[in-house]
Amino acid sequence: MMILSPRNEKKRTRRLLIIATGVVVLALAFDWVSGGTLRGLVRFMSTVAWSSSSRMLSSVAWSGLFSNVRALRAENEALKQEISRLQVQTASYESLAEENTALREIVHLAEGSAGLTAPIVSSTRSSPYGTFMVGAGSAEGVVEGNIVVVGERGSGIVIGEVDDVHEHVSLVTEVFAPGTSIEGSLRGIPTTFEGQGGGNARTKISQELEVEVGDTVTSPAFGGRLVGVVGAIASDPTNAYQSVYIRTPVNLSELRFVYVIP
Amino acid sequence: MSYLSRIRIRWFLSALGFSGAVLAPAWVPLVAMVLLALRYSAWEILGIGLLVDLLWLPAGVSFSHLPLFTLIALILVWGLEPLRSEFLT
Repeated sequence: MMILSPRNEKKRTRRLLIIATGVVVLALAFDWVSGGTLRGLVRFMSTVAWSSSSRMLSSVAWSGLFSNVRALRAENEALKQEISRLQVQTASYESLAEENTALREIVHLAEGSAGLTAPIVSSTRSSPYGTFMVGAGSAEGVVEGNIVVVGERGSGIVIGEVDDVHEHVSLVTEVFAPGTSIEGSLRGIPTTFEGQGGGNARTKISQELEVEVGDTVTSPAFGGRLVGVVGAIASDPTNAYQSVYIRTPVNLSELRFVYVIP
Repeated sequence: MSYLSRIRIRWFLSALGFSGAVLAPAWVPLVAMVLLALRYSAWEILGIGLLVDLLWLPAGVSFSHLPLFTLIALILVWGLEPLRSEFLT
């Protein structure tokens, strides 16, 4: 191996950094000009890597190694999924009961809406921007702005909106992505919710308004569908406002499939 | 530290960053980028930042959709370069 003097080594490193910076700038510019060609390619490759690693992990888990751990984990996962399913169901029914008359028309509309089931093909925890990928794209009829729902078709809980569509992969932005604000309704009171990421949001409402843990939140931005439930309330008598913390009543990392509706 | 172990640590951190961008929570590639930047003038930092943004950044040009990881990578690579030149051999 050729040994470079420290001065030459520094020069070489600096030259490499300049080239790398140029490549990064060019890549971003190319992606922007081409309407996301590079993003599409990288995302497709990442879904392949994601599914391969998932397959590898599950084959290790089912190979007989860690069998006790595997059994416990499977039971734990099944119970968690059951809890999530029941929470979604409860929240859906509460929401429907609360706004029975007003939502009848919307529910009818939602039940009649066409859509498709799509697998989640990426980690739901990796994105710093509150996004994840589903395995359906323009070829399957997905378009930007489609709503992503879990639970019962149409009357389930909205967890996100399709933001970027490629041929067989789409990027979904979570309803409560970090830095977003969403108009919603809590006990019929219009409020703005600030997304915190991970399916959580926060809002401040007057102390005089009575809110309870488990109250449902709907959003006109998603056709009046359910977007979350009240998870906690922080009330300070010396403050005119109380902080209300909203959460999506499903664990996104446990999900395997979602429903995409126009 | 020998040349070989320095290279190994750099490879390990780079691999952690690139695979973490796809499979792990966002703090994993960020930590890998910071650790790389503290010790090396590594082009891999820029690669990891770009990969995170290409994978996860929503479409559209707005202030809420800035490529934060690429910007952080540029700051780590070029902002810390004078310090690295001064203190690292």
